[in-house]
Amino acid sequence: MSGQLQTEERAWDPLVRITHWTIALAVLLNYAIVDEESVLHVWIGYVALAMLGLRMIWGIVGTERARFTSFPPSPGAALAHLASVFSGSRQAHASHNPLGALMVYGIWAMLFLVGATGMVLDIVGEHGMLGEAAEETHEVAATMLIVMAAIHVSGVLLESRLTRTNLVRQMTWLSGRSSKDV
Amino acid sequence: MNGQTTSGQSRGRTYGLAAVLVLQALCAVFFIADSIEDLRVDELNLHNAFEAVVGLVLIIGVVFGAREMRRVLDRAGRAETAVTVASGALGSVIEEHFRKWDLTEAERDVALLAIKGFEIGEIAAFRNTAASTVRAQLTRVYAKAGVAGRSHLVSLFIDDLLGGALAGMKGAESETPPAAAS
Repeated sequence: MSGQLQTEERAWDPLVRITHWTIALAVLLNYAIVDEESVLHVWIGYVALAMLGLRMIWGIVGTERARFTSFPPSPGAALAHLASVFSGSRQAHASHNPLGALMVYGIWAMLFLVGATGMVLDIVGEHGMLGEAAEETHEVAATMLIVMAAIHVSGVLLESRLTRTNLVRQMTWLSGRSSKDV
Repeated sequence: MNGQTTSGQSRGRTYGLAAVLVLQALCAVFFIADSIEDLRVDELNLHNAFEAVVGLVLIIGVVFGAREMRRVLDRAGRAETAVTVASGALGSVIEEHFRKWDLTEAERDVALLAIKGFEIGEIAAFRNTAASTVRAQLTRVYAKAGVAGRSHLVSLFIDDLLGGALAGMKGAESETPPAAAS
């Protein structure tokens, strides 16, 4: 029973999960599937920005684990964590681990950059100094965002293996079902 | 059972709130993007100003909605902990009584199954023994506990939960000596 409760406790709250997967889907759609020139691309971008904004608000007033104060960006702690991974530590973290926290802030910053430049492109167009700069930044930042997302996914899988906790389950709705059956 | 209903209700309420928050965030971004675009094209007029205000108000709404959602999630978490504490407390109260009555290992198992509401036939099947053995063990348990039968045994623990563990323990103690003598 206590084990069940722990998985329930460790699962991310609904708002974190909703914003996470909406943004993930939006990034994937806009990068790989939807035509860049289409209106749909712009709308998906605004949806992602809205979810990012919601997550930022949630990071201030949200649940304990979702708040920024639970995973402050700290390069020193991240390096220490990296060292402990190589020395074979198996410690699980209540919120993000320090390295994962840095990556989360990096992804958020990149999302904001892609979204903001996308908004400039939508409003100003790709012409003129501002438009051209925005377009360049938009493309470079989008590519970097995809690279960071790939690192994020591999980091999650690695951490799941090392700490023997199913981090993926915490972000999805799989554990909610089973604990409800108890 | 009551706990399950509560957690189901709060789950529904959480997702309802989450849906409203997501919708509000989307609307806020669209209003703000639209008012920025309008401001670029037109002069500042009542229409633009109104849109910008609507966007801001929506953001404030998101903040307050998020705070409400956090309260709901915290309350649900506390309720769940309370249920666990209560069931843990009942378990330790039962354990304490068994120890006082000096039950054997087999008698404890049988008594626990009986408290959980299993019939003699079922208990016999679980324990791979004859029904007559279970009946004899239960009789010894009732004698040691100083109760007339199963419903009396169960009511001892209910009494403890309602009136507090200590009051119940004293009641059980006073009933124990004649039973132990027999």
